[in-house]
Amino acid sequence: MGKQILIIDDSNTMRKIIGRSLRQAGLEYDKVLEAGDGAEALKILESEKPDVILSDINMPNMDGIEFLRQKKANDKIKNIPVFMITTESAADVINEAINLGAKGSIKKPFTPEQIQNTLGGI
Amino acid sequence: MEIYQQLADATQEVFQSMLAMEIAPQAEIGTPPESFSETVSGMVGMGGLYKGIVAVHAPYPLAKKITSQFLMTDVDEINDDVLDAFGELANMLAGSIKAMLSSSGKDIQLSVPSSVSGEKYTLDINRSQGTHLIVPFETEAGQLLIQLHFEKQNGG
Repeated sequence: MGKQILIIDDSNTMRKIIGRSLRQAGLEYDKVLEAGDGAEALKILESEKPDVILSDINMPNMDGIEFLRQKKANDKIKNIPVFMITTESAADVINEAINLGAKGSIKKPFTPEQIQNTLGGI
Repeated sequence: MEIYQQLADATQEVFQSMLAMEIAPQAEIGTPPESFSETVSGMVGMGGLYKGIVAVHAPYPLAKKITSQFLMTDVDEINDDVLDAFGELANMLAGSIKAMLSSSGKDIQLSVPSSVSGEKYTLDINRSQGTHLIVPFETEAGQLLIQLHFEKQNGG
């Protein structure tokens, strides 16, 4: 099975930009899954098992923090690495994400190099 | 004013890193515009320690050009992609402004972005109190306006 990534962001434009930045960073995925919020992502994860997840924090319906909380409580998906990709700068919020299992964060706006530096080892 | 330069710098960073577009700020506009014609506006509200709004305004030709750069495809009409792109622009700037106004960031909350466009519309922002800034950027496709209004709340 090829490499898969799940991008969670309520902005369709941002999901496309992230996908393009991954390619520009030399990170090729056989399948790029997309979700508009945490709830949609959890639904996708019932049938798909991506190698890595990139998630926004501030989203309507279910935000990135609640997504991490529910993912952490689900044995089937809790070990999939998640990186936050967000405009959020509050250290408390980022730390909360880390405490809920996020492996790191990328600040918007970002460059392909920053994505490469963060995801290159995955 | 320091926050003016920070807002200009944040805007340039967004355009450089996300759009590969070099833009330079012009002199500050004293009075923020209230009415817009054939324009797209992306907005994010702030609450908590400061309340206010961050808005990005661009005339149709510039809005289409920015969205085309964002998506790396030709956008020749004002559609959902344009509105979404402008919401995201406002969102990224609001994240930078939040970091400027609060060291922890935890005491300011941002709304999810919203966008409007139209042949003619007005934005009713309370200008009686607080700080108002407009950073203009002139481009070949028209003038980009970055608008910031914020007001510290009692007890903050």
